[in-house]
Amino acid sequence: MSLPPEFGDLVVLLPVVTLIVFAALTLLFGVFTRERAALGGLALTGVIASLVFNVFLWLEARAGGVAVTALGGAFRGDPLSYAFSFVILVGAGLALVLADGHRKRLELDQPELHPLLLLAASGGLVLVSAGDLVTLLLGLEIMSLAVYVLAAWRERSRVSEEAGMKYFLLGAFASAVLVYGIALTFGATGRFDFAGIAVAAAAPGFESLGLLLLGALFVLIGLAFKVAFVPFHQWLPDVYTGAPTPVTAFMSVVVKTAAFGALLRTTGTLVEALGVGPIGEVLPAVLAVLIGLTMVVGNFGALLQSGVKRMLAYSAVAHAGYVGLAVLAGGHAGLQAASYYLLTYTFTSVAAFAVLLSLMDDDDRGDRIERLAGLGRRRPWLAGALAVVMLSLAGFPPFAGFIGKAVVFQAAIAAGHAALAVLGIATAVVAVVFYARVVMTMYMREPDAHTAAARPMSRRTTVVLSIGLVATVVFGLFPGLWLDWIARAPWWSAGF
Amino acid sequence: MIAALMVLLPLAVALALPWAKRPAIHRPLAVLGVAATLALGVFATGGAGSLEIAWVPALGTWFAVDATGAGGVLARIAAAVMLPTVLWAGARVDDRPQVFLAWLLATLAGLVGIFLARDLVLFYVFWELTLLPALAMLAGWGLTHRRAATLKYLLYAVAGSFAMLISVLAVRPLSGAEGYRFDQLLAAAPLLDPLTQTWIFAGFAFAFAIKLPIFPLHAWLIDVHEQNHASGAADVAGTLYKVGGFGLFAWAMPLLPEGATALAPLGLALGAFTAIYAAMIATRHAHLKRALAYASLSHMGIVAVGLFSLHLAGQTGSMALLAAQMVTTGGMFLVSGMLHDRRGSFELEAFGGLARGAPALAAVTLVVLFASVGVPGLANFPGEFLALLGTYQSAPAAAVVAVLASIALGAFGVGLYQRLFQGEARERAQEIKPLEVAVFAPIVALTLWLGVAPAANLTVFEREAAAAQVAAAPITPPADAQASGGAR
Repeated sequence: MSLPPEFGDLVVLLPVVTLIVFAALTLLFGVFTRERAALGGLALTGVIASLVFNVFLWLEARAGGVAVTALGGAFRGDPLSYAFSFVILVGAGLALVLADGHRKRLELDQPELHPLLLLAASGGLVLVSAGDLVTLLLGLEIMSLAVYVLAAWRERSRVSEEAGMKYFLLGAFASAVLVYGIALTFGATGRFDFAGIAVAAAAPGFESLGLLLLGALFVLIGLAFKVAFVPFHQWLPDVYTGAPTPVTAFMSVVVKTAAFGALLRTTGTLVEALGVGPIGEVLPAVLAVLIGLTMVVGNFGALLQSGVKRMLAYSAVAHAGYVGLAVLAGGHAGLQAASYYLLTYTFTSVAAFAVLLSLMDDDDRGDRIERLAGLGRRRPWLAGALAVVMLSLAGFPPFAGFIGKAVVFQAAIAAGHAALAVLGIATAVVAVVFYARVVMTMYMREPDAHTAAARPMSRRTTVVLSIGLVATVVFGLFPGLWLDWIARAPWWSAGF
Repeated sequence: MIAALMVLLPLAVALALPWAKRPAIHRPLAVLGVAATLALGVFATGGAGSLEIAWVPALGTWFAVDATGAGGVLARIAAAVMLPTVLWAGARVDDRPQVFLAWLLATLAGLVGIFLARDLVLFYVFWELTLLPALAMLAGWGLTHRRAATLKYLLYAVAGSFAMLISVLAVRPLSGAEGYRFDQLLAAAPLLDPLTQTWIFAGFAFAFAIKLPIFPLHAWLIDVHEQNHASGAADVAGTLYKVGGFGLFAWAMPLLPEGATALAPLGLALGAFTAIYAAMIATRHAHLKRALAYASLSHMGIVAVGLFSLHLAGQTGSMALLAAQMVTTGGMFLVSGMLHDRRGSFELEAFGGLARGAPALAAVTLVVLFASVGVPGLANFPGEFLALLGTYQSAPAAAVVAVLASIALGAFGVGLYQRLFQGEARERAQEIKPLEVAVFAPIVALTLWLGVAPAANLTVFEREAAAAQVAAAPITPPADAQASGGAR
């Protein structure tokens, strides 16, 4: 089946439009009804519908074999955008159900919750599908504005307000840097679109290579804020800790995946545009330094934390470093590795937060690791689930986290970054210590006064946790489900 | 297919065991699982047992298992040693025995996977998987200071395996091999330039040196054995899991011959030092399990020396020694559990004179202990002798040190027997029980079999070692190929 040519263009926008329509619907119904559960169902329907459209378009594109663009190239349907949109939508759906499961308790019971989540996800889709830098900025802002509000959600909570404020200020600063970088890039090449930038820079007589490099560096730094590369990660631990836990889960999967999609596309284009000369080596070198720092600081930072939520925040920084290796490797191998890593990280991370939500106090506090003592005996299933999650995050086979690390490191080594891969492995040993500490506390320490009884799991939380766990195991045992699917993509337009 | 079943069957039993409600069926189920695995192993000796299916084509890895080579021999012996271990653990572990048995079965599944894997990534996966049961048994059933021991073990093991992971992931892209299957790698990896080979080999060697273990990466071993459950069952699993020598023999050395040559002097020196140093400590140690751990460390030194001699006989002997010490060291750890039953301690001071009350126990222990220190006619001798003989051909100095170590080990064996069984008895020890007879029977049978009729296994090991050395030989292009090149 093929689409009629006159729709072949705008139909690419369908997943985004679906999300926005459902955001409007939930907002509208939220005014009239107190039935929050129905709103949650409506929002989830929107995410699933968007996911279905995305998969449909993906299959269609594979059959057709060409990249589809809409709005004069501003919006693209290609392997990168479909793969990353898929991951974003899966993450958004899981986080949404998780938020619904703890809506009452965490005071998330307000009509704005669902529209904001949907809008943030739609911004993420725009971000990874952007064909030019302006659309990219637009997507980033749509997503970020919604998440700023979500992070500062809890009234009367200084931590949450601080988180929102900090995220907003630093995010605005990052956007400014990004805009400046975009302006410089435009100044150098006269183009906003990725394909145009590559063409302009490759044209004979192109003289503004230095300016383009400056622009590229600013763009890189702007996006580095969003993916939380060290030293631009300072906001992340506080925001992750301060935001309501379901929102933290949402950020750790949706925002991260979207930002990495944009980073993959942008650096891919800019590295190619800058060529292979001495100037062309600067951008990968800067990226390599950022990634190295991210892996070291993220893992050692996590090692020093006494709270599980904050440990997961630093571990999110560390994982950003590993995905960064795939970005640095670039090309098809980079896309394959990064998308696989983020897909499995989405499942595992959401599962981790689902367990955490069942362990923390009613006011969304109390994540000290001592609370886990004796969990292995009191709640064997919950403890087993958390153990699997921790092992996967630490990179143990046969769980998905292992294959994720393997493909990322292999891509990095094949692209000539063996030293960075060795550094990554060395820091991964550190990571094993803090993940193992969680497991050992559950099984080897007797409960004491600090230990709180874990609340019974809500049905929604159980569903999210089960999906996360099953996917962590299945994608670990059969990584080909995703990797071969991406590998068999018959086309990959290098110029984006 | 049979080879794949050898992995899946114990795994399935391990997964089923915690669900079994009736305590009475736990032990029979576990024993049956191990016995069936062993039976499969015997059937899989023919080539028909192997299996190859693409696992992740995008990554170039295969689910490839084969039981015809050296790994097959080790897998069968591991299963055979696991049989009495499960029998013993089922009776001796009181706290959640079904879970402990499940971990033992999981260990067996992982070990069989390590030995039978013919794909490097698959090998790595099993290598890591087997760590989990080892840690779980130590963490869940260990003695008072198990936390520190667990963390130490985890750190050493993970540091090693992640170093190996880098090598695993580097060897294919750098050599341009088609995939991770052994034959695919063998076609490309040995052609890498010597420096790259040395680096990649170093990653493997680091991991294997930790798992062998040899000095200075052995510190975890002693604590782990000291803190493991008093029955000694977990120690047997740990002994079977000393697969570093196998990794060198089956993977690192054939694939990276130049790297092996470059690092052989270091391996020889560390191996020889480990052998003599550990043997000396073993003779003076006052804690039974720690002494046994040091003695087994000394064996590992000899294994390393034999392997790094890069000599056919040395490597063959090392593998035979590795196989034999699974039986004898494993057997000694089971003995330690039985002795702990009688005296409630591992301190050698608590023992002495056991032979008076338990002459049969003393006699059986004597067989296993003497086999362990290399008395001719028993399990360890053929391997140890060949390893030393081969080493003497290519590295006489290391061989001399290793021979001294084996003499020291002999002294250790005699001394240990005296301190345990001879002298004055404070109280009368209980004679060997029917369960203990059943546990000893397969151990003693294997000890005798490996000592009296080692030829079959040695042939397998030698064939594989020889094949690797042929592959490692520098390939000179045939003369006619050069001629045709010139004509063009």
